[in-house]
Amino acid sequence: MEHIFESLSQFWEYTGFANCSWQNLVMIAIGLVFITLAIVKEWEPMLLVPIGFGMIVGNIPMFPGLNIGVYEDGSVLNILYQGVKQGWYPPLIFLGIGAMTDFSALISQPRLILIGAAAQMGIFGAYLLALLMGFAPNEAGAIGIIGGADGPTAIFLSSKLAPDLMGAIAVSAYSYMALVPVIQKPIMLLLTTKKERLIHMPTPRVVSKKEKIIFPIVGFLITAFIVPSGLPLLGMLFFGNLLKESGVTKRLANTASGPLIDVVTTLIGLTVGASTQADKFISVKSILIFGLGLLSFVIATTSGVLFVKLMNLFIANPAKKINPLIGNAGVSAVPDSARVSEVVGREIDPTNHLLMHAMGPNVAGVIGSAVAAGILLSFLG
Amino acid sequence: MRKVLTSVLVLLVSALALKAQNVSDLIISEVLAQPDSTGILDDYGRRSGWVELYNKSTGTVNFGGCYLTDDRSALRKSPIPKSDLRTKLGPRQTVLLYCSGNGHDGTFYAGFTLAPGKTVYLVSNDGRTIIDSLQIPAGLPVGKSVIKLAEDIRQQNFETVHEPATPSPAIVNGDQNAATKGERMKERDPHGWILTVVSVSVVFCALAILWFLFWLLFDRSAKKKAKEGTSLSKTKGKRTVTLGESEESAVAAAIALALDMEQGGDRYAAIAAAVHLYLSESVHDVEPGIVTIRRAESEWNNKSLIFRKLPR
Repeated sequence: MEHIFESLSQFWEYTGFANCSWQNLVMIAIGLVFITLAIVKEWEPMLLVPIGFGMIVGNIPMFPGLNIGVYEDGSVLNILYQGVKQGWYPPLIFLGIGAMTDFSALISQPRLILIGAAAQMGIFGAYLLALLMGFAPNEAGAIGIIGGADGPTAIFLSSKLAPDLMGAIAVSAYSYMALVPVIQKPIMLLLTTKKERLIHMPTPRVVSKKEKIIFPIVGFLITAFIVPSGLPLLGMLFFGNLLKESGVTKRLANTASGPLIDVVTTLIGLTVGASTQADKFISVKSILIFGLGLLSFVIATTSGVLFVKLMNLFIANPAKKINPLIGNAGVSAVPDSARVSEVVGREIDPTNHLLMHAMGPNVAGVIGSAVAAGILLSFLG
Repeated sequence: MRKVLTSVLVLLVSALALKAQNVSDLIISEVLAQPDSTGILDDYGRRSGWVELYNKSTGTVNFGGCYLTDDRSALRKSPIPKSDLRTKLGPRQTVLLYCSGNGHDGTFYAGFTLAPGKTVYLVSNDGRTIIDSLQIPAGLPVGKSVIKLAEDIRQQNFETVHEPATPSPAIVNGDQNAATKGERMKERDPHGWILTVVSVSVVFCALAILWFLFWLLFDRSAKKKAKEGTSLSKTKGKRTVTLGESEESAVAAAIALALDMEQGGDRYAAIAAAVHLYLSESVHDVEPGIVTIRRAESEWNNKSLIFRKLPR
């Protein structure tokens, strides 16, 4: 009988109830909120469901030393987490993004590329603010990249510059990407007049296959020569796009844009979520990171919209003016920020379709954020 | 012929890749000839002179099979065993070889001793090529070492430091006081303005070059053609469609409308809707938003023809 009680007592020590802390419960609650938002509100379900569930997995209280935790060497979760820690997953996701992305909108209106560059101000604005708050330069750079609104890029850079902050940065980036419609709309309305919102942009021209094939090659050569440190992301992005546009590697493009990106997205979401263990995640730094992440999105959106207004000052022909509502799309949350442009544009004029125009700065933002990450890596890595 | 060219290309690339991680990337980074009483002990508890090798490449190098010598006329004096897995040296890492005078002490022991005035040579596994050498100054005090330091930021060119150095066995020379990039940046640019201005300029430059190139190569010529009223003819099956400026607008409007309907829906449905809208010439500002795609029956998909008859 005594042995039975002893065994039960020992078993109790191994249960989650015996090892539970309030921090674990808070993180599990946040995970549940993410899952709820993803299912009920359909906010970025592909990301929030794996991240939310990963948060729950990572915060199940457990007896240390069983070799099952994400930070315990050799555990299954730890092996899967290496893709995040060593930075393999983000370039693979970029391969898929490249194979999915149609750069036609950008090629047909090359001037819109500059909006994608302007929106990267969010990254550097957050970098300056983070330095002001006392973060070290490498940490500030990793936090700043949240403003790029690009989850894989944020994970890639933070794994190199500030691995300790990666969980908070990744969750912050993905959370605000899901909240793009909520964050961007009021800023767009605040910074534009009714007259500006009514601007109808000229129909984009049809882009030839030759242009689509040349774009990833030229784009890669230029960006990679300028910022070689962005090679893993830029190389994979443009390679994926070449697979798609070449027309002769359909099977490879389909794999990259389908099963491969699905597998990697699942793993990256789950492991990033699991890496937010309460003892490593709940801290003042994490709260500051969330605050700075929000500010970086605000700065990025503001810069994009104001830059379009600036461009319009130099465009004499009224028929060629750019609707400032596509400025927000320079934030590279593809295609959510472009959809925000479309929705806000149609609210004031149901015949004004901005989606195709907004996709230009949107995909330029992807290139811009990868270039910005490369620059930060070369300065601070 | 094409296969031969491809094979040559593959071989060339492979050769280059191999060259990138061979023993020529090793250097003798530090030598201590006469240890003092504070010197490092070897595995046998002795204090002897040592030679530090450094892998300056960014890949792992296996120095097993190479030779260490203090005699230029006997380059194979002290071989390093080939079969020891520990002879793999990671990128930018160092390894110590003790000059105990007895090479049989182990993998990391050389069969000669060191003294001021001697020169140590690292010889390639072919036994002929000297990879690197380091001369021990004649007047080197006891307990002091001679080191090499990187001259460039890429850490590819090294130069011997003439002043005697405090020994730093198995530590990358100059690394003890080296600040990280972040720390250096904090000193140089405490508020972050320099990095911000430089980075924003680079991002703009990179994308502006891209814009300029595409504007120059394609956008300008395409618009010129459109202005000249050039029309593009395409044949779709039996039906010929002429795409002029207005037709292009119709295609674009159809795609925009379809994408609009697709929000949250299916990509293929959007493409099908775009084609349908264009072909049915029903592109207007306000659409009912309902597209019915009727399946065309053929011998390939007619169920009554392709299904296996059930036995009755």
